[in-house]
Amino acid sequence: MTQLAPDKEIVINGLWKDNPIFRQVLGICSTLAVTNVVLNTAVMCTSLTLVTAASCLTVSLLRHWTPRNIRMMVQTLIIAFYVIIVDLILKAYWPEMSNQLGPYVGLIITNCIIMGRCEAFAGSNPPVSSFWDGLFSGLGYSLILLGISVMRELLGMGTVLGFAMPYFSNPDYWDKWIIMVMPPGAFFALACMIWLCRSIKPKEVKK
Amino acid sequence: MKDKPFFAVIYMFVVTAFFSAVLIGFARLTRDKVEANRQIAFEKAVLEVFPDIEARTNAQIHQIFTEQFEQVVDSYVYHKDGQVVGHAVPVEGQGYWAPIKGIVGIAADKQTITGIAFYEQSETPGLGARIVEPDFRDSFIGKQLADGDRPLGIRPAGSTLKNSEIHSITGATQTCVRLEKLINDGLVKWRQANQEGTQQ
Repeated sequence: MTQLAPDKEIVINGLWKDNPIFRQVLGICSTLAVTNVVLNTAVMCTSLTLVTAASCLTVSLLRHWTPRNIRMMVQTLIIAFYVIIVDLILKAYWPEMSNQLGPYVGLIITNCIIMGRCEAFAGSNPPVSSFWDGLFSGLGYSLILLGISVMRELLGMGTVLGFAMPYFSNPDYWDKWIIMVMPPGAFFALACMIWLCRSIKPKEVKK
Repeated sequence: MKDKPFFAVIYMFVVTAFFSAVLIGFARLTRDKVEANRQIAFEKAVLEVFPDIEARTNAQIHQIFTEQFEQVVDSYVYHKDGQVVGHAVPVEGQGYWAPIKGIVGIAADKQTITGIAFYEQSETPGLGARIVEPDFRDSFIGKQLADGDRPLGIRPAGSTLKNSEIHSITGATQTCVRLEKLINDGLVKWRQANQEGTQQ
């Protein structure tokens, strides 16, 4: 409880060993939906990371009082609470982004990663480590999503963060792969990403 | 205490009341800002349908909107140097997922479309949401409204077009069908209001 810095294991688990995307394969819906442009993805990832961290912290703070049979309801309530706050902040201070992300901000509520971390970790661990666990799971998710979105935006539009990239933005050399910015492109990009990440660490599940 | 069945009920009630109270407070704090953003998005859409207007900052947009536009019934009349140069007709209706709200710009002849802009839509990104892209919006420019209750037609890609028709977006058939309906509803309503206005 007194230790404020994150445990090394939590960091490694969230970012790599138990990475939500390529290891637990959670939160795939938003991975497919918001990764066609890097900027949208970055905002989505920031929102999700903050919501996950804050929800895990709150769930953990309340864990001694919450009756077990209604814990799911309480978790959903807490997650919805933070998501609505993020949604309101975007609507008030960044309306263009709020417009572009559209319904996906509200759909953070249904992202399996948040509830997964609340249920698996925050419900039985102290607040500080729950916070770090949520934060690093969110960052692990962001890591993969940003990778996918860079790949999709670069191949599909020849830009990264809206800036034209040499070679890829030149129609003489590079024929834009429209499919990459379309929904089906996300499946290819995600599959390649999971393939890549899993082959980097070949020794898996030898329990 | 914690094992009693009523504890769960009371607990849920208290937790819900607490979080809702905080949210209501927060929503109140941001309400003015959200409302102002919505208003500016609307004004921006109104200005966007007239290609001759150049406004960059929100302040410029608001200034032009208040100085050169006059609300007549449900639409906005665009004045320039004391003359009417166009009409901005708000159209809205159900899209595929959620309401689509937009503005259709019509020249002073009440026939020629000068542009179209959307300030609220939640269509599928990459498919229906492409209605906000310049390519699609530009295809409206210069079209002549037809008489009758179907002033504008959205026809499948590849078909031959009349002067009052544009091509739909491939893969977004439902969005286009609804869009055609809501634009036509708005335009017909505007025409009727206008005729009554001139008769008086």
